[in-house]
Amino acid sequence: MSIIKKIITFRPSFTLRILTGLVSILILLSVCTFIGLSDRTRLNVRAAQFESRAIEAGAKVYYDQCARCHGANGEGVEGLGPGLASEFFVGRIELVRDEMQQQSIRVVVPSERLKQIGWTGSLRDYIIAVTESGIPVKTSNVWDVNHPTFGERYGGPLRGDQIRDVASFIVNYGLNPLPNDQAILPPAPGEGQAARPTPVPLTPEQEAGKQVYLAQGCAACHAIRGVGAQGAIGPNMNRMGAVAAERIASDDYKSKIQGQPPATTPEEYIRQSILYPNAYIVPQCPQGPCQANLMPRNYAQVIPPQDLDNLVAYLASLK
Amino acid sequence: MAFVGQKLIKQIQTTGLKATVAQRLDDAFTRFTAGLSWNDVRGILRGDPPPKPNPRVKPHTEGFWFHIRPTFYHEAVTTLYPTFRLGLLSALFFTFEIITGIFLMIFYTPSPTYAYGNMIDILTNVPFGKFMRDLHRLGAEAMVIVVTLHMVRTFVTGSYKKPRQFTWFTGVVLLIVTLFLSFSGYLLPWDQLAFWAVTIGTSMADAVPLIGPELNLLLRGAPDIGAGGLLRFYLFHVVLFPLIGVIFVAVHYYKVVRFGISLPPEMEPVGEDNARKVPPEKRVPFLPDILTNELMYAGVAFAVLAVSAATWYSAPLEHHADPLVTPNHTVAPWYFYWLQGLLKIPHMIPFLPTSIAVEVDRFFANVFGITPKVFWGVIVGPLMFLLLFVLPYIDPNPSRRYGDRKIMLSLGALFAAVIIYLSLAGIPTGVPITGFGYVGGDPASEVGQAFIPDEGVGPVRRLPYSQYVVGSFPINADPNTGSAGLDSLIRDIHNDMEARKVRPDPLGRRLSAEATGTLEVKQIQENLRQVIITINYTDEAGNPTQFKKYTFLHAGSGYAVE
Ligand code: HEC
Ligand code: HEC
Ligand code: HEM
Repeated sequence: MSIIKKIITFRPSFTLRILTGLVSILILLSVCTFIGLSDRTRLNVRAAQFESRAIEAGAKVYYDQCARCHGANGEGVEGLGPGLASEFFVGRIELVRDEMQQQSIRVVVPSERLKQIGWTGSLRDYIIAVTESGIPVKTSNVWDVNHPTFGERYGGPLRGDQIRDVASFIVNYGLNPLPNDQAILPPAPGEGQAARPTPVPLTPEQEAGKQVYLAQGCAACHAIRGVGAQGAIGPNMNRMGAVAAERIASDDYKSKIQGQPPATTPEEYIRQSILYPNAYIVPQCPQGPCQANLMPRNYAQVIPPQDLDNLVAYLASLK
Repeated sequence: MAFVGQKLIKQIQTTGLKATVAQRLDDAFTRFTAGLSWNDVRGILRGDPPPKPNPRVKPHTEGFWFHIRPTFYHEAVTTLYPTFRLGLLSALFFTFEIITGIFLMIFYTPSPTYAYGNMIDILTNVPFGKFMRDLHRLGAEAMVIVVTLHMVRTFVTGSYKKPRQFTWFTGVVLLIVTLFLSFSGYLLPWDQLAFWAVTIGTSMADAVPLIGPELNLLLRGAPDIGAGGLLRFYLFHVVLFPLIGVIFVAVHYYKVVRFGISLPPEMEPVGEDNARKVPPEKRVPFLPDILTNELMYAGVAFAVLAVSAATWYSAPLEHHADPLVTPNHTVAPWYFYWLQGLLKIPHMIPFLPTSIAVEVDRFFANVFGITPKVFWGVIVGPLMFLLLFVLPYIDPNPSRRYGDRKIMLSLGALFAAVIIYLSLAGIPTGVPITGFGYVGGDPASEVGQAFIPDEGVGPVRRLPYSQYVVGSFPINADPNTGSAGLDSLIRDIHNDMEARKVRPDPLGRRLSAEATGTLEVKQIQENLRQVIITINYTDEAGNPTQFKKYTFLHAGSGYAVE
């Protein structure tokens, strides 16, 4: 008790007050000096940290928004979007740190894509521009879609900071880009027109089948070029007729089919795939290995027989 | 001109150049100090006794700054007790916040497009930027504590009693101003922490009966917080509240000087205020004693703040505000936890059997249209402040002596205990033991939240990038990943999961006994990895369920050092 009493009735002497005050000011000034001297380096270290965090945040945006068209590893998706991790697109970069701890990016191999299209700004700015506002003029029809406009200002879902983050993420591929033959490269401006086969006119049955395809929501999971089907959950159906023929000839199909007799014609295969999706699981889907149980298993009850015939005829005609 | 020059020349002719310059300088000095010559100041600094007549009272009559301060204090209030200098410290912190705030203001734009980027610029591109931000934030939180303690001390010493009722009243206004200053500043970084804390806070305004939606609209400038809300909060923070603060500090302090600081209760005849009747031998002169005392306090307070900001304290900055993503476990700032705790009281009348309590709630909802949330948060919460406002006017006891105030002091302690209990209930973990106020998802998602919190760092991000090994590892008691750090992280997750299997959370939920987990590390880019925690368990309905949570980790993001 008496100790507490001593403390709370303590009255510092004049000298003690002056001394304590002076020491405090000294401490205050030395903290400021210390910070003033070391702040340059610490600012740079922190700037590098925040750039790293921007890349982390950008990765999340990429997997949420972009991977479905540009691939899980930035390799691109046939018909949906070009690779962004290719050396052709990102070039090759190195990170350098100087003695001031300042981190900067050195471009070792510049992007060939920028040269090809004559973009004079930086790669980062090109990515930001395309992501924000899309590609305003379509120069090639190898892609089924126009680029979505992601910027909030253009009605998209992403804020400016998110777009800058995803640009940082894509530029970061440049540290170890994919070799060009492992990615899907965009055609040069003016080219690519020929890459698309001239569409064969559909028979009335096939045309009816196309309408079934759209009406039944297949388009939400399976892309078909030129008909507005952009889903990327299941394999694309661009060449379904030809693919079906390849499938039934493959050993993978013969060894894995279960619960159903193996199909012998492409039409049978397609019908089987629609009615019994789990009979055979296709190896590769746009976002990695295909999963069982994803495709609805009730089409036998949902699609009338006549419609089903038309649908199969339509898909088999795509070659 | 000629006239001035003539006088000067004449003086030089009569007294010599050196003496003239010395005398003119001393004149200027005396004008600057409002009445003290250089020799007077030297005497003060040397601790000399005041000469007679005492020139040290001149600044109190001549100059503004000293004129608002008394010329002497009673000896009894110059020890640590009874004031603990908490009022002085409140004023010092207020000033300190204005100075650091003006610095930050230079680099800040109140717009959702720029605010967050400005914060990053302050941290990465402005010399002293992080230091100033830490100081401002730390100072704000310290100010809330100091002002509250100041209130507690004036309550305990009974200094709110006649004639100081209005001093207390203006003090409560200052407490509210302090809380609102802190709260309005909270939004400005425009990060997730800020955005959701303020969304919760302003949604209370929405629940106010009758005028709620209008009030909410007035605060936010739109149905949701956006550009309009940010600008308003900014203007509140830098104009409105500081202005109210300055005005009320002036009134408050005028009252303090007018009545004098109350003496320790035992030195006062019951019911008779004698603070201004100071016998000459008990007077401690302002110059030099009180002034040096205050300067000492200012020096120590600022030095402690500066050392803290330079060492252990770092103001948080979470991800950019995102109205579409509500982070798990969003909370109000800690000084509003009690309000959040109030909101969690489930019924209008607590402690009744549930069936009756529900009936009572229904009655109130039907007749008055208010729910328990509105009642506790919007009516009872502000009523607590009303209670503070009227306290000096309803306390009938004239005596300030502790022995005479047993009831009031017990009530005060009870009030404090309730506030602390409610504050504990306000945080997501709830009150220890009783579990009241606990909010949490199912146990698997709580494992995810514990290791990869939506905001903040957490163990997974704290483990440095280099400690991760690419691969997929089962979560068990003796992992063998080849990296000591990753092994110990996996062990920690394992232990956490096991604990949740045995010990139910306050809502009685456990992680199902056969639950298993995996931790997967994927290489995404050269220097970027993804860490995924997957837990397979059986949910309450008996269905096999999978919980998945991931984060990206860059080699240079430096969470480990934070
Ligand atoms: C709906 C599919 C789709 C989505 C989703 C998509 N893109 Fe694209 N992206 C494309 C197509 C198609 C092109 C090529 C367009 C063209 O050249 O006309 C392209 C081109 C680009 C290019 C220019 C590539 C080059 O080689 O010139 C960039 C950069 C880009 N996208 C970034 C993004 C980002 C970042 C996202 C996510 C926020 C994204 N994209 C989401 C389809 C998509
Ligand atoms: C919810 C998404 C989804 C919907 C909707 C959907 N599918 Fe599928 N589909 C898949 C997935 C995933 C696969 C690959 C896994 C498998 O083989 O079961 C697949 C496989 C197929 C295959 C085999 C493809 C191949 O390359 O061998 C065909 C044919 C097919 N679906 C047709 C259709 C048709 C026709 C419809 C509409 C009536 C439809 N699907 C609706 C997801 C879907
Ligand atoms: C920004 C906030 C505040 C400032 C700057 C401030 C400042 C001061 C100062 C300098 C004093 C002189 C005595 C002392 O140092 O204790 C004082 C006294 C007093 N304050 Fe405050 N104060 C603030 C908030 C409050 C609050 C929140 C209350 C109570 C609700 C309060 C109630 C009082 C009372 C009753 C006195 C008279 C004490 C006495 O005479 O012993 N003040 N205040």
